[in-house]
Amino acid sequence: MSRLALLCTFVLLTLVSFIGALSLGAISIDLLDVWQALLSYDSRHLEQKVIVELRLPRTILAFLAGCGLAMAGLILQTVTRNPLADPYLFGISSGASLGVVVLFTLTGVQAGLALSGAAFIGSLLAMTALIVITRTQMSNQVESLVLAGVALSFLFSACTSLLLYWSDPQAISAIVFWTLGSFSRADWQTLWLPALVVSLCIACMLLFRRTLNALLLGDENATTLGVHVTKLRLGMLLLSSLLTAVLVAICGGVGFVGLMVPHIVRFFISQASTAGLLATAFCGGLFMIWVDVIARSVLDNQELPVGVITAAVGSVFFLLLLVLRKRSSPSM
Amino acid sequence: MIQASSPPPMLSVKQLGLKVNQSTILNDISFDIKTGQFIGLLGPNGAGKSSLLRCIYRYTKPSYGFIQLLDKSIDDYSRQAYAQQVAVVLQEVPEQFNLAVFDVVAMGLTPHKPLFSSMDQDDKNYVYTALEKVGLTHKNTQMFCSLSGGEKQRVMIARAMVQRPKLLIMDEPTSHLDVKYQIQIMELAKSLGVSVLASFHDLNLACAISDSLLVLHQGSLKAQGKPQSVLTSHLLSDVFGVCADVSLVQSASDIHNVVPHIRYHYGYVK
Repeated sequence: MSRLALLCTFVLLTLVSFIGALSLGAISIDLLDVWQALLSYDSRHLEQKVIVELRLPRTILAFLAGCGLAMAGLILQTVTRNPLADPYLFGISSGASLGVVVLFTLTGVQAGLALSGAAFIGSLLAMTALIVITRTQMSNQVESLVLAGVALSFLFSACTSLLLYWSDPQAISAIVFWTLGSFSRADWQTLWLPALVVSLCIACMLLFRRTLNALLLGDENATTLGVHVTKLRLGMLLLSSLLTAVLVAICGGVGFVGLMVPHIVRFFISQASTAGLLATAFCGGLFMIWVDVIARSVLDNQELPVGVITAAVGSVFFLLLLVLRKRSSPSM
Repeated sequence: MIQASSPPPMLSVKQLGLKVNQSTILNDISFDIKTGQFIGLLGPNGAGKSSLLRCIYRYTKPSYGFIQLLDKSIDDYSRQAYAQQVAVVLQEVPEQFNLAVFDVVAMGLTPHKPLFSSMDQDDKNYVYTALEKVGLTHKNTQMFCSLSGGEKQRVMIARAMVQRPKLLIMDEPTSHLDVKYQIQIMELAKSLGVSVLASFHDLNLACAISDSLLVLHQGSLKAQGKPQSVLTSHLLSDVFGVCADVSLVQSASDIHNVVPHIRYHYGYVK
């Protein structure tokens, strides 16, 4: 029953956050207008147009990105049994960056759908390389996965740096801004893709939650519970890579959420349960909604990169939690 | 008159061998485990105990020979079906995770549950019964990583109980534990009433608990049979390289039975 109550709280919090995020921003719109825009949208009304055309898709994208990255982090931390694993450790985001930089230097395109496409191709490339390398190493798959991921990540970064070294300063600043992430590219036409991938991923996590948890006890223990360890791990890796590739392509590099949110949730609830999994997704989503609100309302006429805020807010909160937990636990 | 055929052995291992990179790990091993028997597997470090057990719980594929579970080759079982028959308790469990004791025990349900289903009341009862049997009901909401070594192994035994196997395999489940917990874990395993194949490092404990012993030496089966006939000072110096006396003492569990008791001289064969 308490788990049900927890989930209801999360749903309620999400609704409140959505309404808050729609009302706050460069211009504050009062809650009554927000409500009206949602119930009976009138496109001649400027404020309602801002809400429905700009803020709503943006907030939905932020929520989806938060959910998705938190889930991807949780998957990777589970299948590699490595508390430091997150989507960025495995070279997926550096692959995306390389894709973007290659596009810049070859064609000079600095915005639009081509950019997302290039990022997506880059991360797919990184993912394929990683899977091909680790497929041949079945025995100590976990170690080779992490090591290969880190090596690939450095390789892609080196290529990116080399290309940046030769390109002009304007391109560099555009690329840096892209790397730090933003939800400003959200619109109704492209929102279906992250929505589809994130819901697919959550469904898979819920479906395979037992076998995923069994992996936590080690490959050998999982095998004795009837789990096909190598297959499950590759499948889950594929899923989280796809998720990261889609999100990075649309939002740019939003770091730290995948690493941190699963750990924060883990402080409070055992992740073996359905409730724990959903709590992780909700926490990621809620966190991202408010990060986006901060990003677009802190400075006048200017937007802060989302990645800066996630890393800053997240790491301080995380350190605080570590310190406080150490004090309250009697065994320390 | 129709002769009643004897029931098939729980597990039957025939001419099993394992080679890894041209070196022989296991060589021509054959033995049977009867239903309800408690078999102790002995041997010095590197004799191939863990490799043999891994072949039986299908983590390693043997190079030749075959293994049958209840008259059917173990390769003919699906992963899930095999896990419903055979549960395994290992020596060590990774600690880098944060699951409640209840959740770890509930993992024993994995081979019995289809993907979509959630836990019903029966499943919960299995988990609570197992927790009660290992005496950890009061810790069911605690985090697994906060438990002591003995408690962790009791949780793993409870998980194996929830799995409801016909054969329980244990690979030195008591190596790091205090004497009391070594005895406790083995008694718990024995109390399940299923066939057990357990490797031991404490020879006296193995003699006191097991119905029959298997002794591995350099990948081959050196001896098998009742403890009192297998464990002699001759075998101890041959296989384990220690000088020791073996005397027969009355079994603690069965007064009509005697078990060998080893007294080491703390010298070794050079």
